[in-house]
Amino acid sequence: MAGPLASQREGEMIGSKGIIQKVEFVRIIAEALYSLGFEKTGAQLEEESGIPLHSSNVNLFMQQILDGNWDESVITLRKIGLLDETIVKLASFAILEQKFLELLDREKIKDALKTLRTEIAPLCINKERVHELSMCILFPSQHLLLEFPHQDVGRTKSRPKLLEEIQKLLPPMVMIPERRLEHLVEQALNLQVGSCVFHNSLDREMSLLTDHWCGREQVPSQTLQVLQEHYDEVWFLQFSHNGKYLASSSSDRSTIIWEVSWNGRVSLKHRLHGHQKPVSYVSWSPHDDQLLTCGVEEVVRRWDVSSGHCLCIYVKGGLGLVSCAWSPDGKWVFTGIADESICMWDLDGKQLQCWKGQRTVRNSDLEVTSDGKHIVTKCKEAAVLLLDREEKTEKLIEEIQTINSFSLSRDNKFLLVNLLNQEIHLWNIEGDPKLIAKYKGHKCSRFFIRSCFGGLQQSFIASGSEDSQVYIWHKDSGELVKALPGHAGAVNCVSWNPANPHMLASASDDRTIRIWGLKNQLDSKQEKAQSNGIHYCNGGT
Amino acid sequence: MGLLFLIKLEGKVYSCKHCQTHFALSEDIASKNFHCRHGKAYLFHRVVNVTVGEKEERMMITGMHTVVDIFCVGCGSIVGWKYESAREMNQKYKEGKFILERFKVLGPDGSHYMGIQEALVSGSDVEDA
Repeated sequence: MAGPLASQREGEMIGSKGIIQKVEFVRIIAEALYSLGFEKTGAQLEEESGIPLHSSNVNLFMQQILDGNWDESVITLRKIGLLDETIVKLASFAILEQKFLELLDREKIKDALKTLRTEIAPLCINKERVHELSMCILFPSQHLLLEFPHQDVGRTKSRPKLLEEIQKLLPPMVMIPERRLEHLVEQALNLQVGSCVFHNSLDREMSLLTDHWCGREQVPSQTLQVLQEHYDEVWFLQFSHNGKYLASSSSDRSTIIWEVSWNGRVSLKHRLHGHQKPVSYVSWSPHDDQLLTCGVEEVVRRWDVSSGHCLCIYVKGGLGLVSCAWSPDGKWVFTGIADESICMWDLDGKQLQCWKGQRTVRNSDLEVTSDGKHIVTKCKEAAVLLLDREEKTEKLIEEIQTINSFSLSRDNKFLLVNLLNQEIHLWNIEGDPKLIAKYKGHKCSRFFIRSCFGGLQQSFIASGSEDSQVYIWHKDSGELVKALPGHAGAVNCVSWNPANPHMLASASDDRTIRIWGLKNQLDSKQEKAQSNGIHYCNGGT
Repeated sequence: MGLLFLIKLEGKVYSCKHCQTHFALSEDIASKNFHCRHGKAYLFHRVVNVTVGEKEERMMITGMHTVVDIFCVGCGSIVGWKYESAREMNQKYKEGKFILERFKVLGPDGSHYMGIQEALVSGSDVEDA
C-alpha cells in the first residue's frame, strides 16, 4: 500500500499559514539532498524523521530499472499501490519498450521479437508504436536514423531517462518528481520578479535570503545633464536602436546628433542644417548608420550619421511631406504626404509606390513594424490604421477622442496612443486590437506630445506634458511612478535609451534637452567639469 | 510654444480671426440666437482646437450655469465658452455645447463681424428652448 508513510503524521501541517504538509515537505527536502549528491545526509534525514522518501517497493522498482531487471520491475510495478490499471499498462509498456530496444542494441533479434510479440503486444495499447518497433526489427540499421515521425523512435534512451519518464506517468505521491524543491524555489523567485513593480535593475543574481524588490529608485528621476545647443524649442528626440546616439530636432530648423559615451555622458556630434522649416520628426535607420529628418510639411532628408552629410532629399513636387519611416531592411523610405497619401521611396530618392485615398492624415506619425509587414498611421481623427503592405488586410484601432500621437513597441505587439485632452491608451495589437491600460495625470491639449515605452522589458511608459514635467507610469498597473519637474516649458517628447534602462531623455520648449538617470549616478566630479554655473531646477549645479 | 496639434476641418469653417485656426463647421450650429457682450454668438455642437479654462458659475439671461471659457490653441485669445451644466431643466439642452462669439471668429466666407450695435443687448446667453 502506501508504505510506511507514518499514518500518525498524515495531516500534520507546518508553516505560518498551515498549508504545507509536513510529510511532503520532508520528502521533497530528502529528494533535493539526493539530487545534490548528498546520499548519506538524505538517508539520515529519512531515518531521523521516520519519513521515507519512497516506499520500499518504489525503491526496489527504481533500482530494478537502473539495473535493467525488466521483468522483475514489471512485477514490482504491480506491487506498488495507488496505481490504476491504465498507468500500470503505460509504465509497463515503457519498461518493455526499453527492454526491446536494448535487446536490439545487443543484436538479440530473436529475444527482441519474442518480447514484442508476447509481452508488449498483449498490453493492447499504443498499437502505432508497436508497429514502429516491429519496423526496427525489419530494418535494424534504421533504428538509428531519425526518419520516423517521433524523433527518438529508434534511439535507445538511457535508463535514468527511462526512470524519469516513468516518474512522470506515476502519481507524484508515489514517486516524488525530481528536483521538485528547486522547481518550487524558482517559481517563488519568478513570482517575486513578476510582482516587483518597479523592476528595472540589471542584477542577474537574485538572493534567496531576501525577497527581490526594486524600489522607485530604479526609475530615472534625477537630471544628470542639461543639453543647451538648440536655438529654439526642441520638438522631437529619439535614441538610436543601439543606444549610442541621440537625435534631437527643433523649431530652429536643425537636427543635432549626440553621442552617448560609455559612462553615460552625452555630447554633441553633428549639427545637421538644411531644412527650411522646423524639423518635427527624426527616424533612425535599422542599423543606426543613417537618419531621416522631416521638416513640417516640407521635405525629408536622409543623413549619414558618422559624417553628418546629407545624402538625399525626398521631394514630392508641390506637396509637403509630413512624416517618415524606414523599412526594416534599411532599403526603402516611407513618407506621409500632405495630400493624405503614403509614398515608398528607394534610397536615391525615387518614388516606387504610393498608397492613395486617405491613408494618413496631415498631423499623423508614421511607423513601420520591425517585420516590415505593416505600416502604422493615423487614418482618421480618432483611428489608427495598421495597413498590411500587400494590402490584404487592414486593422483599425478606433478611439472615441482625437488622437494626438502614437508609439509602437519594439516587439510590435503594443501601440501607445496619446489622446488629445485625455489619457494615454495602451492597445494590444496582436490579433484583434484590445485596449488594455490607461495612463493619466499629464497634460496634452495644444501641442504634439509624445510618449514612449522604456525600462527593462519595456515595463514603463514615459510621456511629455504641457505642464513642463516628465511623467512615468508603470505599464502593467497604470500607476504613476514619477512626475519629474525641471524643464521650464512644455515637454514635447521623451525617449528612453533602449540599451540603458536607467537613461531617459526629454525635449522641451525651454530649448533644452534633459538627460535623466538614477539618483546615485549624479557624480559630483563630473558635474563640476561640465557645469557653467547654471542651476538646474531639481538639484545639481 | 511646441508644435501645435491642429485639427483641420473640411467644409464651411468658422475660424479664429487672429490666426485662422479652424474652430467649427457651419453644419454644427445648434442655434444662432445667442448673445454676448460683443454681440451675436452661435451655439455649436462641436468645436475643435480650443483649450478650456477654470469652471465658473455664471448667471446668464436664462439662469445659472456652470461654464468654462474657451481659448484658441493657436493664439490663446478667448473665443467663447462651453456649457458644462445648467441649473434649470429646460436649459439642459446646452450641456456639452459650445458658444463661439461671432466677433471673435471669421465666417465661412472669411467675413469679419462688426455688429457692435447689437451688443446693446445686456447680458449673455438667450435662445430659450
